[in-house]
This record gives sequence, C-alpha cells and structure tokens, in this order.
Amino acid sequence: MKRIAVLITIVFVLSLLVVPMVMAQAKPTPAKEPAKAPAQAKPVAKPAAPKEPIKLGAIYCFAGPCYMYSESAINGIRIAADEINAKGGIMGRKLDVIVRDTEMKVDVGAREVKDLILREKVNFLEGPCSSGVGLAMQVVHSEYKVIRVTTMANTEGQVVDKFTPYIVQIVPNTYMEAKAATRYLHKKVPTAKKFATINPDYEFGRREFAAFKEEITKLVPDAEILYEAWPKPGEKDFTAFITAIMAKKPDAVHSSLFGGDLVAFTKQAAPYEFFKTPFIALYDLPVLLALGPDAPEGTFGFGRGCFFMDPNPKMLEFVDKYKKVRGAYPDSWAVQAYDGVYLLKAAVEKAKTSETEAVIKAMEGISIDSLRGRFTIRPLDHMGSVPCYQGTIAKDPAYPFKIWKDISRVPGDQVWRSEESVREVWKKTGVVR
Amino acid sequence: MSFDILFNQFMSGIARASLLFLVASGLSLTFGVLRVLNFAHGSLYMLGAFVTYSIWKGLLIPVVGFYIATFLAALVMGGIGIIIEFFLLRRLYARGWPEQLLVTYALVLIITDLVKLGWGGEFLSIPRPVPFKGAVSLFGFPFPSYNFFVILLGLALVIFLWWLVYRTRIGDIIRAAAHDREMVAALGIPIPWLFTWIFVLGAMIAGLSGGVAGPYGAIALGMDIEIIVECFAVVVIGGMGSLPGTLLGSFIVGQVYAFGIMFKPELALAFIFMVMAAVLIIRPWGIFGRPER
Amino acid sequence: MVIQKMEQNESMVKRGWWLILLLAGAIIAPHVISDFYLVILIEALIMSLFALSFNLLFGYMGQLSFGQAAFYGLGGYTVAMLITKVNFNFWLSLLAGVGVAGFVGLIVGFFCVRLRGIYFAVLTLAFGQLLFVIIYKWHDFTGGDDGIQGVFPPGILKIPIVYYYFVLLVFIASAFILWRIVNSPFGHTLKAMRENPERTEFLGIHIARYQLITFVIAAAFAGLAGALWVPFYRSVAPFYLMWIKSGEPVMAAILGGASTFFGPVLGMFIMTFIHAYILGFTHFWPIIMGTIILIIIFALPGGILEFAKVKLKERQERMKSAKGSP
Repeated sequence: MKRIAVLITIVFVLSLLVVPMVMAQAKPTPAKEPAKAPAQAKPVAKPAAPKEPIKLGAIYCFAGPCYMYSESAINGIRIAADEINAKGGIMGRKLDVIVRDTEMKVDVGAREVKDLILREKVNFLEGPCSSGVGLAMQVVHSEYKVIRVTTMANTEGQVVDKFTPYIVQIVPNTYMEAKAATRYLHKKVPTAKKFATINPDYEFGRREFAAFKEEITKLVPDAEILYEAWPKPGEKDFTAFITAIMAKKPDAVHSSLFGGDLVAFTKQAAPYEFFKTPFIALYDLPVLLALGPDAPEGTFGFGRGCFFMDPNPKMLEFVDKYKKVRGAYPDSWAVQAYDGVYLLKAAVEKAKTSETEAVIKAMEGISIDSLRGRFTIRPLDHMGSVPCYQGTIAKDPAYPFKIWKDISRVPGDQVWRSEESVREVWKKTGVVR
Repeated sequence: MSFDILFNQFMSGIARASLLFLVASGLSLTFGVLRVLNFAHGSLYMLGAFVTYSIWKGLLIPVVGFYIATFLAALVMGGIGIIIEFFLLRRLYARGWPEQLLVTYALVLIITDLVKLGWGGEFLSIPRPVPFKGAVSLFGFPFPSYNFFVILLGLALVIFLWWLVYRTRIGDIIRAAAHDREMVAALGIPIPWLFTWIFVLGAMIAGLSGGVAGPYGAIALGMDIEIIVECFAVVVIGGMGSLPGTLLGSFIVGQVYAFGIMFKPELALAFIFMVMAAVLIIRPWGIFGRPER
Repeated sequence: MVIQKMEQNESMVKRGWWLILLLAGAIIAPHVISDFYLVILIEALIMSLFALSFNLLFGYMGQLSFGQAAFYGLGGYTVAMLITKVNFNFWLSLLAGVGVAGFVGLIVGFFCVRLRGIYFAVLTLAFGQLLFVIIYKWHDFTGGDDGIQGVFPPGILKIPIVYYYFVLLVFIASAFILWRIVNSPFGHTLKAMRENPERTEFLGIHIARYQLITFVIAAAFAGLAGALWVPFYRSVAPFYLMWIKSGEPVMAAILGGASTFFGPVLGMFIMTFIHAYILGFTHFWPIIMGTIILIIIFALPGGILEFAKVKLKERQERMKSAKGSP
C-alpha cells in the first residue's frame, strides 16, 4: 500500500517535470516582448526634449475575455507612440503612454481613471474594453474635463444617450455595426423573413439587437423575429440555445457573439448542421485563428477592420511593423488603437496645443487618413465615420487560417444615426448641446 | 410544441448536465471528505484546459493526441493538487473552514494570473477528436456525437467513483472519514494521507473535465469563474459530499437551464439560483445529503 | 484588585489617545496628501464601513456571509435610482438605501439564520447571486449590465474634500454605533451564542431572533456603505452585487483580524492602498493579492491586529515579570 503511494507520488512529480517541457516545445509564438524601438527612437526626439511630454493614459481591461483585446490595443498604441516619438513627437513634444488596468470592474475602472487624471496628470485617455466600464468612466473623466478616445468599447450610449463632449468614438458603434451587418445579411439572403437572434446579454449585445430589429423591419416590412436568445457573456455551453433556435426553424440568424463565446458556439453548433441556416456574427481574426479548420465556410462575419478586411497599402505596412514587433498578425483591436493615437496627434497639431477645450474644437470635423482609410469626426456627437466590414468566411491559400471573401466596406456615414435622430434621443435623455 | 423538439432540448440539458457533473463531482468529493469548499476547483479546471491544449499542440499525434493530452493534464493537475494539499490546506485543518476557504480563494486569484502569464489569455480551441467529430440522428434531429462522449465519460466517472466509494476498502475509509474523522484516525489509518489522495483525485477530475471542455467549447480566461458558481449550485442542490446527489444536482441544473432557455430565456439563470435557495431553505443539507451533527 | 483597575483605566486612556491621534490625523489628512490619495482615502473609509458590517456577522456572530455585497449593491442601486429617476432628495435617498438593504436583509436573513457554518455561507452566496441576476437581467428597470450613471450628490458635496469629511463623519458615527452594539449586553449574548449555542438556548434566549436582528443591522450598514459609494463615483453597476465583491470584506477581515473590532478596517485600508499603488505599474494584481492572503494566513494567524495584540501582551507580561523580580 505504502509502496504504491510512493510510486504514484513519483509519477505525479515526474509528470509535473515532463509536461512543462513538452509545453515549452509547443509554444507557437514568442510571447516575450522583443527589444523595442524606443532605444533607437530617443536620440531623434532629443532636440525637442526640454518640452513637456504629452501623456496618454491607455486604460484597458486586463481580465477575462477582454485580456487579449486589451493586450492587442496596447501593442497598437505602443507602436504608434514609438513611431511618433521617432519622428520628433507631437509638435516636438514626446508622447508618453501610461497603461492602467480596470480588471473589467466598473469601480476599479472609475478609480483608475481618477488615478490617471489626478496622479499621472494625463492629457488624454484611450480605452477601455468593456462597455459598462466605459460608461462608468465617462462620468468621471467628463467631470475632470479630460478627453477619451474609445477604440474598443463601442456602445452607442457613450456618444448618444449619455453624450458628453469629452468622448470621441472611432470604433463603429453598436448601431452602425449592426445596421451594416443587417444590410449585408439581407443582401445575401433577400428572401429571409423569419429571424432568430442570439446576443450576449449585456450592454453591447442589447444595443446590437435593437439596431438589428430596427433595420430589418425597414428592409423587410413583414420580418418576424421568432426567438431571441440571451446567453450571458462568458457562456461556454450553447447547446440548449442552439437546439432552441433550431426548433423555431428560422430563415436566418443574426448574432453579435464574439471572442471565446463565438468559438464555443461555432463548435457546438456545427454538428447540428446549424450553419446551413444563414448566420452572421463577429467572426474577426482572433476567432478565425482559434477556430482554424472549424471555421464554417460560407457563414457571414462582421468586423472592425483588420488586414484581410481592408488590405490597403497603409494597413499592410502596419501588418509588417506589427509582425516585426509582436511576431503575429495584428487584429482590428490593435488597428483601432493605433488609429486612436494618430487621431489625437492630428487634433493636437491642428489645435496647436494639448489644452482640452481647444483639442475638442479641433477634433470636431477633423479628417484623418487612418489604417482603415479616411474618416471624419462628426461635430455633433463626436462619432467617427469609421467603416464597418462584412464578409463571407472562406479558405485562402495565402494564409494558414480562413479569412473572408466577398468583402463589403460600409463607410460610417452611410449607417450612422442621423443628426435628427441623435437630437431626438438627447431630448429624451436630457443631453443639452 | 412537439415531442421531438422537447426531447431534443432535454438531450441538450443532459449534455450540459454531464459536463457539470464531471466538474462538480470532484468538488463534491473534496467537500465530502475534507470538508473544504474548494473555490479553486474551477481554476484547476481552467488550468487543465490550457495545459491540455499545450500538450495536445506539442505532441502533434493525430488521432489519440487529444486523449493522451487530457490524461497527462489530469496527472499534472493531480501533481498541483499534491502541492496545494500538502503545503497549504494540510496546515489549516485544525484552524477551521473560513481560513481554508480563503486559501482556495487566494488560489483562484493566483491561478488566473499564472494562466495570463503562461498563455496570454488568447482564445484557444481544440478540434473535436476523431471518432466524435460529426453527429448522430435522434428523432430526425442531429445530436453531436462529442456530447455522447461527454455523457459516456460522465457515466464512466459515476461508475468509477461509485465503485471506489462503495466497493473498495479505501471507499469504506472515505465514507467513515466523512462521517467521523477522529474515529478513523483512532483506528490507525493515516488521515492526512487519505486527505491528500482525495484532494488529488478531486484535482485530477478537475483537470480531466478541463481537458474534455476544450473540444466541447473554447478555452479562455474567465472560464473558472463561470463554472464554479454553477458547480456550487449543483453540489448544494444534490447534497454536499454525496455522489448520487451530485448526479441529481447536475441533472436538475442542466434541465432547468435548458428548458429555462426555451420558455423564459431571460430568467434561465435566475431559476438555477432560485432552486438552489429553495433547496437550502427546505433541506439545507441538500436532497441526498446528510444533516451535519 | 485596585492596581488592576488602575491599569485598566490607564489602558483606556491610552486607547483613547490612540483614537484622538487617529481622528486628528484623519482631519488633517486631506490637506497633506495628494488629490489621488484623498480619493483612495474616501474609498478606504467607505469600504471599511462595508467590512465592519460584514464582521458583525463574521467576527461576532461567527457566521461567514458570502453575499454581503448584495446589500451593498442594493443600497447603491436604491440611491442611484431615486436620484436619477425621480430626482429624489439626496439625504432621504441615503436613508432609503439603508432601509431597502435592511428590509431585504430581513427577508434573506429570515432564511439564512437557521443555518450554520458552511451552509450559511453557501445560502448567502445563493441569495446574493439571485439578487445579482435579477438586477442584471431586469434591463428595463435597472439598466441591466449598463448600470446607472450620473448619480450626483448635491451642491458642495461634489467636491472630493467635502465628501471626504461627510464620509468621515458617517463612518465615525456608524463605527461608534457598531462599537456600542458589540459591547452591549446584546453583543455579549451574540458572542456567547457563537461560543456555545446550546447553552445560550438553554438560558431561554431565542438564537434565531438575535441572529436575525444582527443580520438586518449588518445588511443595513452594508447598504449605507453602498449608498455612500455610488454618489462618490456617480455610477452603479450590477457588478457591485456579485460574489466576487462579497469576497473583499472577507479578505479584509482575515487580513486585519476578525476577532478585533478595528481589524477589518485595518485590513481594508491595507488592501485599498496597496491595490491603488500596485495597479500603478502592473496589471498582475490578483497574484499579488493572493500571495498576501496566503502569507497572512500562514505567518500571522488571526490577522495583523490580533497578532499585534498577542505580541503586545507578551511584551507587557515580560515587563511585568521583570518588574516583579528585583
């Protein structure tokens, strides 16, 4: 008895030693940060050194499902900042990036914003990942009069219902994104009349659903939504949702699932032959990478702009830079965060100061050439006319994973909420402008 | 609503129940014998999933790679279980359960960050292994064969645990220890080692279920917190430390959720906690549990 | 006998000095520390109140609640909804927050106090999660995951330093009330029940009723903490009710020392300040917090304050014995 126990213990200890070795071999990409550019960048920036740096507080959510997006965003921001500093900074002022974590908790997010503003004295903010955290933050930084560029949290609430002048949104918001995706779905399956939806049950999913409902009733007057599924974000077992949807036999299914949830959903839905029904969801790069061969060809996806969605020269150049630094393809989260930094640069240079009110003035109506093409910030609600992308999942011999074909790029000004409509909402929510 | 649709929903409830049972049985076992409510059980499950992924990727063996990886991951979790029990929990048995609970809570925090450090929080996914790729037909509805695998594995685990607890000498000791620790110790049975092995078994089950969860869904940060509260519900409803209780508990939670989704989607989650609270109020020790002395 | 009494008086005076010193420090503090640490100080005070309410159950009643955040969140939601939806008076909203938390505490407590130990912990967890799910899912009424923003306190309370003094005042008053409760005959009965439930039952004391009263008081104070927090950050979200939030006072109590009155306060102050400090340069906070908990549990059993108390007593005894043997 005792000998067996000793033997088993030895087996366990050995397994503990051996397995990490196997795992070390398995590491696909070097996760370690390679030496970065700033070392070489510094001498160039030197002549402008005496001037006070411009501080950018990058506040993202390094927890749970947001962790990976946040890492990507920080990479994008750092690459942009290094580039800018290598070319002498913004108006000769160095750009400092200070990173903070909200832990995906609203109270921590609100406090860390105060930390960035009060202790670090940042000039601008960029972030976060979670929409709920974003809304909680907005009250705080608006009170302290600091501008935040939101590149990831895309609830329309930030610019419409709860608008303050201290927010700029350069990620297609829930309204635009769902509207564009609905149009694509309708274009692909014009005969569909009976729909089902599956959306994560929180701010983002609720808003995407509302916009889908509004748009589909416009496009198909006799459209019918047979079933709404509301899995909690982070759900990993969708079987019951899948069978419940299929029991209704819809013509097409609209979804705003994303990330790990979408990966799980796709794998569980495939054996049910779910993807025979037209389906659209947020199939962007990380999801396609994770799914690998399991990604359902012919299913529709929407996204916010990465290299295969918008292969313009500027984007491809960014892909090379990113690959050099990180050893992987950049996803749309890195792209948008990168664009955010350049938007701030453009606005500060136009205002010729980093003073908040002047930068807001400069920001309104500004146009910049971003990785996703040229976009303009609408003066009324500070919404960028950033494009929404849709496509159909397909194989491509050039890549070891599936990408999109049949891509549609919808400029933001074609799908955003009209100014009258924005004002109407403001009347209800009490925003004065 | 026709019968086949209801049946289909019932089956998806069963699939969910078997995954829940896989995870919760380890939790229940640990609680039954050690009287430790192990918050870190979900974290071991998550870690097991990530480790399985890495081993599977490293081995690159086509057909059986996944099964080997899952087995190895279970062993690794067992090893980590030894460390946790031997270096942490063992020192606290004399001090009362709140401190043990807090130690496992601390482990939740630590393991989350270790996973972040080790894997960077990417979403990973293991394709379904070979004989269970497709679907079989049930009343004209397709039913994923991997779900059958999960159900079979759940059944195998039930039988194994039943055999272990009710049909072996170790099982006699386990049951006796759950009932009266001092008495067993007085008989000259080394209680500390028994505890270690039970905890290790619980951790291995967590690792195994994590591995199985890889092809079932996705491997991602946050899956620890998602699963642990539901497992508490299972264990509480069935009765803490009771094997048939855990089986019934996971069945109830799986079905309540599946049919909740079908008829009242927005309340599906609330139903689970309502059942949990109701059981605790009417029969605090759970349906199959025994009241504490 | 007389000497002992004198010593006791002396220690009372000593303790009094400590409190006065702390109070003076608390009054001066906002003028000395930076704006940011003032924010952290306010946070620590509010969270300490939350921890104190928890410790009334844990340290004095001997029951670990893992659903205390539900009452904290309910207090916050009540204030947020009254202020934003019906423009209710701020002060009355605070009271309403306390009232709602206390009332729900009465219902939940009615079921909970009949259980002991781990069952109590799990039932409070279940009720906490139930309330969390209801608030989370009831989108039309509570705003769901969105939460509620724009909860502003009136007038000069918007200025952090004023809010600080307000919170300090509420904290001192609440701590005083709680201190009086635990040192009253009621508190002693509570402790006696913790030590020996059967015997107190024999004495004709209705345990469940006593525990229910305590549960309601704890819920009300947790609600007060939430009601103070939400106007300070101007927003509330369902996360405030989640079980993860319930873990914070548990950690604080074990860190500082659950058997002492001010232990949880000390624990919460340490946690809040270290958290704020560490998030300044790394996002690997959980692993640090986890390690701190492990170290405290293994190296300082009973918490920091308890440990200090024991050490102090040892020293006093050594000095006494040194004096006693010329």
